Amino acid sequence: MRQPGAYSNLLSGGKTGPHSLPLARIKKIMKKSGEDVKMISGEAPIVFSKACELFIEELTKRAWAMTLQRKTRTMHKEDVAAAVMETDIFDFLVGLVSHTPNPSAPLES
Amino acid sequence: MKRDPDQYMPIATLTRIMRCVLPDHAKVADDAKETIQECVSEFISFITNEANERCHREYRRTVTPNDVVAAMEGLGFGNYVEPLTVFINKHRAQQDCCPPPRQATHQPLPPPPQMARLPAVDGYVPSPPAVDVANYLEMPQMRDYFVGPYRGGGGGGEQFDPFK
Repeated sequence: MRQPGAYSNLLSGGKTGPHSLPLARIKKIMKKSGEDVKMISGEAPIVFSKACELFIEELTKRAWAMTLQRKTRTMHKEDVAAAVMETDIFDFLVGLVSHTPNPSAPLES
Repeated sequence: MKRDPDQYMPIATLTRIMRCVLPDHAKVADDAKETIQECVSEFISFITNEANERCHREYRRTVTPNDVVAAMEGLGFGNYVEPLTVFINKHRAQQDCCPPPRQATHQPLPPPPQMARLPAVDGYVPSPPAVDVANYLEMPQMRDYFVGPYRGGGGGGEQFDPFK
């Protein structure tokens, strides 16, 4: 029996692309990115689903390299922040990772 | 402060993608996953804003895949362009080859397949011969069945009298 292809879920109007990032949510985030973002082509969220996958993979690999430098096996938020600081193209994330409160920091009385 | 889950990619999907590039023994703390969730949403917003500006500069209103890819290249994600181009071309080729159905067509169902004849099996026990219902009680085996417990008839012997 023929098995469905990798993109068949996409073609049958499924809510997610073949990489399973939800297209509707991507579109929602795109629309929220600016007041004047009004019309988005149907294929744009599909392209973003693949782009986000590439982005996650790159950020994860870089963060894991930071984890290995700490000689540990558990990736923490600090490793992601360190990866952002080290990578020029992630400059747009600097404000995000430095503003996020550190739950492991001791509370000051 | 509670995070709105609709603003982020699902953490399970994110984790699955991360696992593809991490060694089996790697562990990822929840705070790292949440940070990456936020980074992904920021990435989408960042690229979309740039793509939208490109549209406006060219007096267009709709953000297209080409705008998204061009925005990525302009913002330093040039190494994404080739895999994204391959991805888009593949998607479009699939669309051209097998377009999604527009409407459900109400076609009559095909007739059910004929039931296959069972092959003859050795040792098959045939069904009993047809019974002549009119002479059912006259059949020797049936007469014995009914008369047997009250045997006394059929050539001698007292007949049973319940009033005696």
